[in-house]
Amino acid sequence: MSTVIPDVALIDNSDERAPLVLVLDCSGSMQEDNKITLLNEGLKTLASELKNDPIAARCGRVLVISFGGDSNVEMMGDWTDAMDFTPPALVAGGLTPLGAAMRCALDEIESQKSQMRAAGVSYKRPIIMLLSDGEPTDEWRQVATECMSAETAHKVNVMPIGIGNQANKDVLAAFSNKGALNLSGLKFKELFIWLSRSIQAVSRATTGGTVQLNPVDSWAQMQT
Amino acid sequence: MKWKVFFASATGKYHLTSNIPCQDAGHFVVMGDVLIGAVCDGAGSASQGQAGADFFARTVTELIAESVKAKELVPGAQPEYREQLRALIERARARLGEIAASQELELRDFSCTLVGCISSPEEGCLFHIGDGFAVYLRDTGESVVSQPENGEYADQTYFVTDKDWQEHLRVTQFREVNRGGLIGLMSDGASPFAINRMRTGFYRPFIDPVATFLSSATEQNGNQALQKVLEDEKTHAITTDDKTLLLALAS
Repeated sequence: MSTVIPDVALIDNSDERAPLVLVLDCSGSMQEDNKITLLNEGLKTLASELKNDPIAARCGRVLVISFGGDSNVEMMGDWTDAMDFTPPALVAGGLTPLGAAMRCALDEIESQKSQMRAAGVSYKRPIIMLLSDGEPTDEWRQVATECMSAETAHKVNVMPIGIGNQANKDVLAAFSNKGALNLSGLKFKELFIWLSRSIQAVSRATTGGTVQLNPVDSWAQMQT
Repeated sequence: MKWKVFFASATGKYHLTSNIPCQDAGHFVVMGDVLIGAVCDGAGSASQGQAGADFFARTVTELIAESVKAKELVPGAQPEYREQLRALIERARARLGEIAASQELELRDFSCTLVGCISSPEEGCLFHIGDGFAVYLRDTGESVVSQPENGEYADQTYFVTDKDWQEHLRVTQFREVNRGGLIGLMSDGASPFAINRMRTGFYRPFIDPVATFLSSATEQNGNQALQKVLEDEKTHAITTDDKTLLLALAS
């Protein structure tokens, strides 16, 4: 008989969790300019940066949702603690069902919150980071409005980021009260280092307090 | 009703790297449908903390068992436990006091915490001096919890060897233990992952898989499996402290 107990959660409950959902565009256009490869490398950077920070490694909870293919929204694995986060290998191809992907992100956050509440774990405000290089091919307006209201109700922070010139900035901006940012060049690595630092800052912040995130000028395209 | 008891104790990274043995100890006795158990955490600051923990876990458990055998203590029809527990712990202290004196040591050199339980199907109690946790999780999901008592600072606690120990002896009585109930005793090294954040009971994503596994395990397999959990690399990222867990399943 085996002496390994499966599925035992070993986390420090004296910490508050910092949930992060990455909603990543894997449509066909992400193949161009090596974008999907750079995105995959960026995720590896995120994983190692989070693991190198003992507090972020314990507090971070990560979920990756990809959208593309034949109008597919796919959860790339389940929620994982940052210390166990293995970046998925994303493949580009197909459509851009951005609305359905964001719907999935909102639903997942609510169900993760209720699971954490039931388990007696407290948590910080979750972050949804949306990365897209194109136009949604599905209905997105309704879920964008819901994202805005969820932000207003302090339920979530949404960070929409456009990749390249083809990204529809107006669509992305509709998902957050703070608008959208554009990735400068293809600085995925800098973006994910910044994101990891943000998770570190959120993990350390006191409950209810505001978190001052680092400036985004390492990766964001500034308005001219 | 039967008790199935599992026990594991793992040395924390702090003691592993400095080559100091585990300062936790535990002991239990099952007499028919009565369970008696104790877990002690030796103070790092005391030269004989480990010996103290071992002595108190063993002696307090055995003294209670003798008292039950002599029908002085009657779990199942015991209106109040505090006074008898106080007298039994006092006897254990006196015994160790003599041993200490023969080694030209003092009781406080053997400083340790004490967290224990006495349980019958009808009723029982959790008893506690200092930190660590005791939890009785009912089959209905409700919990009876004895929380740690810390001093002004989180790393300060009270010991069974303290002069004013009686002021810090806390007894939590409960009624009715059904099949499917679970009693857990643990040192403070195990609580960050075994107890939920609100400190109102076990952390269910930890305890549920463990309890499910143990309920169908033999004593030997169960103890080995529990030991592996406590020695998991992930626990070192959570705490550098020794981790001890006694789990008793009512079936």
